[in-house]
Amino acid sequence: MAASAVRGAVALRTSVSRPVAFVRKIPWTAASSELREHFAQFGHVRKCTVPFDKETGFHRGMGWIQFSSEEELQNALQQENHILDGVKVNIFLYNIMSFLCISLVGQKYGMTRTLGDL
Amino acid sequence: MAALLRPARWLLQAGADPRLPLSLRLLAGGLSRPHAAPCLPAARAGPVAGGLLNQARLYAVAVEKKNYLQEEPASSHRRNASHFDWALTRLDNSVRRTGRIPKTLLQKVFDTTCHSGSPGGNQALLLLRSCGSLLPELQVSERTEFAHRIWDKLQKLGTVYDVSHYNALLKVYLQNEHKFSPTDFLAKMEEANIQPNRVTYQRLIAAYCNVGDIEGASKILGFMKTKDLPVTEAVFSALVTGHARAGDIENAENILTVMKDAGIEPGPDTYLALLNAYAEKGDIDRVKQTLEKVEKSDLYFMDRDLFQIIFSFSKAGYSQYVPEILEKITYERRYIPDAMNLILLLVTEKLEDTAFQILLACPVSREDSLSDFGSFFLRHCVTMNTPAEKLKDYCKKLKESQMHTSPLQFTLQSALLANKTDLAKALMKALKEEGFPVRTHYFWPLLAGHQKKKDVQGIVEVLKAMHEMGVSPDQETYVNYVFPSFDSARSVRAVLQENGCLPESNVFSQAELRSEAVNGNLAYILSFLESNTQPLSFASLRGSLSLGFRRSMDINLWSKITELLYKDGRYCQEPPGPTEAVGYFLYNLIDSMSDSEVQAKEERLRQYFHQLKEMNIKIPENIYRGIRNLLDSYHVPELIKDVNTLVEREKIDSRKTTQLPSSLLESTLEKLQAENQPIGDVLKQLILALCSEENMQKALELKAKYESDMVVGGYAALINLCCRHDNAEDALNLKQELDDLGAALEVAIDCHAKYKVLPRIHDILCKLIDKGETDLIQKAMNFVSQEQGEMTMLYDLFFAFLQTGNYKEAKKIIETPGIRARSTRLQWFCDRCISSNQVEILEKLVELTQKLFECDRDQLYYSLLKLYKINGDWQRADAVWNKMQEENIIPRAKTLRLLAEILRNSNQEVPFDVPELWYEGEKHSLNSSSPSRAESNIQKDLLNACQQKKSKDAYATFLKAQKQNIVLNSETYSSLIKLLLEKDSFLEAVQVKEFAETHIKGFTLNDAANSLLIITQVRRDYLKEALTTLKTALDLEQIPSRIAVTRLIQAYALKGDVESIQAIQKMVDGLEHSIGLSSMVFINNTALAQIKNNNIDVAIENIENMLTSENQTVEPQYFGLAYLFRKVIEEQLEPAVEKISIMAERLANQFAVYKPVTDLFLQLLDSGKVDDARALLQRCGAIAEQTSIFLVFCIRSSRRPGKASTLKSLLELIPELIEKEEAYTSVMKSYVLDKDAVSAKALYEYLTARNIKLNDLFLKRYAVLLKNAGEPVPFTEPPESFEFYAKQLKESRENPL
Repeated sequence: MAASAVRGAVALRTSVSRPVAFVRKIPWTAASSELREHFAQFGHVRKCTVPFDKETGFHRGMGWIQFSSEEELQNALQQENHILDGVKVNIFLYNIMSFLCISLVGQKYGMTRTLGDL
Repeated sequence: MAALLRPARWLLQAGADPRLPLSLRLLAGGLSRPHAAPCLPAARAGPVAGGLLNQARLYAVAVEKKNYLQEEPASSHRRNASHFDWALTRLDNSVRRTGRIPKTLLQKVFDTTCHSGSPGGNQALLLLRSCGSLLPELQVSERTEFAHRIWDKLQKLGTVYDVSHYNALLKVYLQNEHKFSPTDFLAKMEEANIQPNRVTYQRLIAAYCNVGDIEGASKILGFMKTKDLPVTEAVFSALVTGHARAGDIENAENILTVMKDAGIEPGPDTYLALLNAYAEKGDIDRVKQTLEKVEKSDLYFMDRDLFQIIFSFSKAGYSQYVPEILEKITYERRYIPDAMNLILLLVTEKLEDTAFQILLACPVSREDSLSDFGSFFLRHCVTMNTPAEKLKDYCKKLKESQMHTSPLQFTLQSALLANKTDLAKALMKALKEEGFPVRTHYFWPLLAGHQKKKDVQGIVEVLKAMHEMGVSPDQETYVNYVFPSFDSARSVRAVLQENGCLPESNVFSQAELRSEAVNGNLAYILSFLESNTQPLSFASLRGSLSLGFRRSMDINLWSKITELLYKDGRYCQEPPGPTEAVGYFLYNLIDSMSDSEVQAKEERLRQYFHQLKEMNIKIPENIYRGIRNLLDSYHVPELIKDVNTLVEREKIDSRKTTQLPSSLLESTLEKLQAENQPIGDVLKQLILALCSEENMQKALELKAKYESDMVVGGYAALINLCCRHDNAEDALNLKQELDDLGAALEVAIDCHAKYKVLPRIHDILCKLIDKGETDLIQKAMNFVSQEQGEMTMLYDLFFAFLQTGNYKEAKKIIETPGIRARSTRLQWFCDRCISSNQVEILEKLVELTQKLFECDRDQLYYSLLKLYKINGDWQRADAVWNKMQEENIIPRAKTLRLLAEILRNSNQEVPFDVPELWYEGEKHSLNSSSPSRAESNIQKDLLNACQQKKSKDAYATFLKAQKQNIVLNSETYSSLIKLLLEKDSFLEAVQVKEFAETHIKGFTLNDAANSLLIITQVRRDYLKEALTTLKTALDLEQIPSRIAVTRLIQAYALKGDVESIQAIQKMVDGLEHSIGLSSMVFINNTALAQIKNNNIDVAIENIENMLTSENQTVEPQYFGLAYLFRKVIEEQLEPAVEKISIMAERLANQFAVYKPVTDLFLQLLDSGKVDDARALLQRCGAIAEQTSIFLVFCIRSSRRPGKASTLKSLLELIPELIEKEEAYTSVMKSYVLDKDAVSAKALYEYLTARNIKLNDLFLKRYAVLLKNAGEPVPFTEPPESFEFYAKQLKESRENPL
C-alpha cells in the first residue's frame, strides 16, 4: 500500500508539471474519442485517457487530457461550461489537490496505475 | 356490535378519568401511529427520516456516555461512536434525498457494522429500523428476511437487545405486512427476560388488526388494561383498520364515536385509517366525502397521507381513482422523497403505470435543462423486468415532458449494468432510430458480463449484434473483452469468420499485435512486422510497441525491432523520417515508464542504447534533450550519457535551439563586464547553458572567475551538474560557499536531493518570514510542495506562521479547503511548544484547528493540559474542561486523569468522576436485572483476570463457575480461550472451548482466537487440527491472521506436504489481500516442500518458469525467495543449495533477474557463510548494484539483536553501501542493540570524516550507547526522546500523500 502510494506520488511528480486537465462526471455514453473531440477546440490534445473498468465494461466518469501547451490548457480551463452528450462535465487543473481527491477514490478502484500511465 | 364494544368498554373503564392526560396523548401519537395499510411509503409509517434519525441521535449520546464507564478501552468506543455517526449520516442522507435506502447501502452499513467489532445497541437499532418501508425497492418478504439476518448476526456478535430493539422489529413486521404470531413474539421477549412496554402492546394490537383479528387485539388490550397503560389514538386507529379488514366497515366507522366518547378526538391518523379502509374497498365516494369533511375541519392532511390512499387504491386494484386523489396533492417540495418512495413501491408491486402517472405529476423544475428527474423510476423498472416496449414509451413521454434529457441512454445504462442483453439491444435500436449514435463501448458491459462467465457463445452473439447494428469493434474491444475468453487470437479470427463478422480493416491484426504486446511477446511482434504486408502507420504501432517493450526483458529483441522500424522501408521512411520517428518512440517509451521502473531497468536500458549505437541508429538533438529532461527528473542522470551517444551530431547546428549558445553569452558577459554593467543575469544564463551542454569544467571555471556575481539559481544548476558527473567534492564545496539564508535554503534542498530529508526547514522558514523574504518563501514552498506534497507544504507554512506570531496568516493556511489533520505533524508541533513552554502559540494552535477536518481535538487539548501542568496553571486547565464541553468533545480517560491531577495538585475540587485505571466503573453499568448476582460477579472476575492477563486465576474462576453450573456469555469464553492460547495453555483452552460449545448454542471463536488456536496447534504439531480450525474460521467468513496462515503453510512445507499447501491456497483463494498473504508465501513453501520430497528439479523448474514466462504473476523485483534460501541453508540441504545457487545465477546472467541471486547472497551472509557469499559476488558482480534490496535487508536486520556481524560482513563485501543513510543508520542501530561501542565509534568516525550529515536519531542512539558504556560523548546529545526524533524523521520522509 505504502509502496503504491509512493509510486503514485512519484508518477504525479512527473505529470504534474505537464499541461494536464482532469475531467470528472463524464457521462457513460462518452469515451475518450468524444472527450478528445470536444477538447480539440482548445488546442492540440496530445493524450486523452478515459480508463475503463474491464470488470464492468464501464468507465468511472474520470479522464485526463494532456495538451501540447500550458496556454491550450488554460483555454480549456477558462471556458465555464463543458457539455458532453448533453451533460455538464467538470474540468480541473490536474494538480496536487486533485491528485489527493483522485487518490482517495483511486484507492477504492485501484486506479493508481492510471496515474502512472499518464 | 359486541365485538366492537368489548374493547371500547375497556377503554371507558380504563381510567377513572376518561380524559387521558394531553401530554401522554401527544407522546403516544408521536411515538407510533398504526396503519391501516401496513405496507406504506416512508410517510406516516414512523421511521420518517427526521423522526427516526433524531431519536437515534439522542440515543447515541446516551449510549456513549454509558459506555464511557465500561471496561473496554476508550478508543474502541470512539471507534464505535464514530462508526455510528458515519452510518447514521449515510442512511440519513439517503432518506432525505431519495426517500429510501438502497439495499446495497444498507448491506454496506450492515457489513461495516459487523466488521467494526461488537456493534452497539444504537447501531443495531439504526439497522433494524431501516428494514421496513424505507426499502421500497425490495419485496416485503425480502425486507423482513433482511431484518432477521441483521437481528441474528448482531446477536451472535454480542449485541445486547433491549425493548427498543423488539419494538423496532415489530414496526418492521407491520410495515412489511409480515405474518407472525404476537403471542409467540411475547413469549420470545419473555424468554429473553425483556419486559414489553406500551409501544410493544400498541404494535401487537396493530398486528392483530392488520389481519382483521379483533379477538386478538382485544386480548392485548386486556393486558394493557391490567397494566394500567394509557390507550392512545394509535390504538383506536388500529381498531378502525381491524374492523374494516374483518369486513365490518360500519363498526370501523363507529370507532370514531367511541373515541369521542372516551374523550379522544379522532386525528388525521384515525381518518387516514378510515380512508384507507374505504380505498381498499374501492369506495371513491366515501373517500371523497371523508376528505371533504376533513378539509372542512381544522385537521390537515399532508401529501404523504394522500400518497397512502393512492397506494391503497392501487394495491386493491382500483387505480382508476388515482387521478382524483392526485388532484388533491399540493406537491410541496419536501414531499418529493415521499413521492419517490411511493413510485418505487408501486413499481415493486408491478403497478408501474400508476407509478409513472405519479412521476409525471411531480413538480420538478423544468427550466434547468441539465437536471434529470425520473432516473430512479427507470432504473427500478429495469430491475423489475418491465417490458422494453413500455420502457420505450415511458422514455418518450419523459423526454416530451422535458423531465429527463436522455431517458433512453439512462435506461440503456441501467440495462447494461443489470446485464440484460435483450433489453439493451432493444434500447440501442431505439436510440439508433431516434438518431443518436450507438458507440462501440456501449457493448463492453455486455461483453464483460459474458467474459466473467466465460460464455464464449454470448460473446459471439454480442459481436454479431454489433455487426447487425453497424458498429465495428475497435482494438480495445478485442483486446480487453474478446481475446481473454479464447485460447488465442487465431481462434477468435476463425470464429468471427465463421459468423461473418470479421472486420475488413486491419483493426483485427492491430488488436492481435496489441494483445501479444500486453503479454510481452516481442518475438511475435518482430515476426509480424517482418512478414506484414498491410500498410501500418508507425504511429498506430507506437503504443503497442512501448507496452510490449516494457513487458519484455529481452533487450536483443528491443533492439532488433527498433532496427527494423528504423531501416525497413515499410515503416518510417516517409517524412519526417526514421531519425525523428525512432527518436520520438524512445522518448515515448521512457515517458510511459514511471521513474521507479526506469530506475529498476537502468541496466537494461543502457544495454539497449548501446546496441542501438552499434546498429548506427541516430536520434535528433531536440528529442535527445527531451529524453535528458525525463531521465533527469527520474533521477537516473547516468543514463543521459548513454542516450547522448545516439545524437545525430552533424545536424546540431541546423536545428533551432531555444537557448542562446554559450559562446554568444560568454562574449556578452565579457562586454557587460568591460562596460561595468551588472552581469548577474547573463552569468546565470551562461552557467545554465554550460550545464545543459554538460560542460562542467568550463562552468566551474566561470564560477571561480565571477564568484561575487553568482546567484542562487546558478549554484543550484552547478551543484546538480557536479552531482551528475560524480564530482561530489566540488558539489560540497559549492554548498559551503553559500552562507546566507537563500543559501541555507539551497543547502536544505540539496540535502533533500541527496539524503531525502529536509533539515531544519521549519527554522529556515521562520527566519524567512521574519525577514519578509517572500521570493525565497515562495521558492521554499514550491520545493516542499513538489518534493513532499502540497499538504506538507501547508503544514510547514502553518507552523512557521504560528511560530512567528502571524496568526492571521496561519488561520488562512489551516482553512485551505481540502486540508485535513495530520496527527503526527500536529503532535510534533505540540511537543515543540511544550518543550519550549510556548503557551500562547500552543493555545493558538488548538484554537485555529477547531474546524480542521478529522482533527483529534482530545489529543490537542491533552497536549495543552500537559503544558498547563508544567506551569501549574489550574485556572487555564479548568477553562479547557469547559471548552471541551462547549465543543462537544468526549474526552479520553487519560485526558480526564491529567486534568484531575492538575486540579488536585492545586488543591481544587475535581468536578467529574475520574476514570480509574482499572475497570471499577463496570459496577455502575451492570444491569442488575439480567444475570444473577453470583453469575455477574463470576463473569466480572473472569473478565478482570483476562484483562490483567492472569491466565491461572481466570482459568480457576472458569472451573469454579463450571462447578456451580454457571454458564457465562460467549464473549467471556472467547476472551479466556484467547488468553489461554496466548499463554500456551493449549489443553486448558481446548477444554474451555469444548465446554462453551456444549453449553452455548452456536458458540464460535472469533477471528483472533481462531488464529491463535491455529498458531498453537501448529506449534504443537497438530497440523490436521490446525487445518480444520482454519477451515472452520473461513467457513464462518472470518479473516484469519496472516501469521496463523503462514505458520501453518510453513509447517506443512517442512513436512514436505505439497498437497496440504495447495489445499490451503485453494481455501484462501480470493482472501489473500484481506489476510495480507503474498503469493510468495505459497511459492516459497511449495518449493521447500518439493525439495523436502527430493523433487529439487521440479521446484527449480517451477520457479524459473514463473520468473521467465511471459505471464508473470509477481514482478521480478518482488520475487523474494529469501525464506526458501534460508530454510534450505538452515536445514543443510546441500544438493539443493547448490542447484538453487546455479538457478539464481542463471536467472541473473541470462534473464537479468537479480532479486533471487541477491537474496541468496544475503542469506549466505546471514548464515555466516561469508566465503560462499563472497564467491557468489565474484561470480555475479551485478549483485553489488542491488542497493535497494540491501537497504531493505539492513533495515529489517537492525530490528533484531545479534545481526551486527551480518551487517558488518555485508559492508565489507559491498563497501559503497555505508554512505547510504538507511545502511549506516541500521548498522548503528544494530551496534546499539548488541552494545558494541567500539564498532560504533569506528563507524561514527568514518562517517564524520567523510562529512556525512548525520540525523538526530542516529546521534541520539550513538550518544546513549557511549553513555551506557561510560564513555564521553564528543558532541551535544540531542535533548529530545528517541520517539521524538524517530517521529521527526518519519515526518520528514512522509510521502506527499
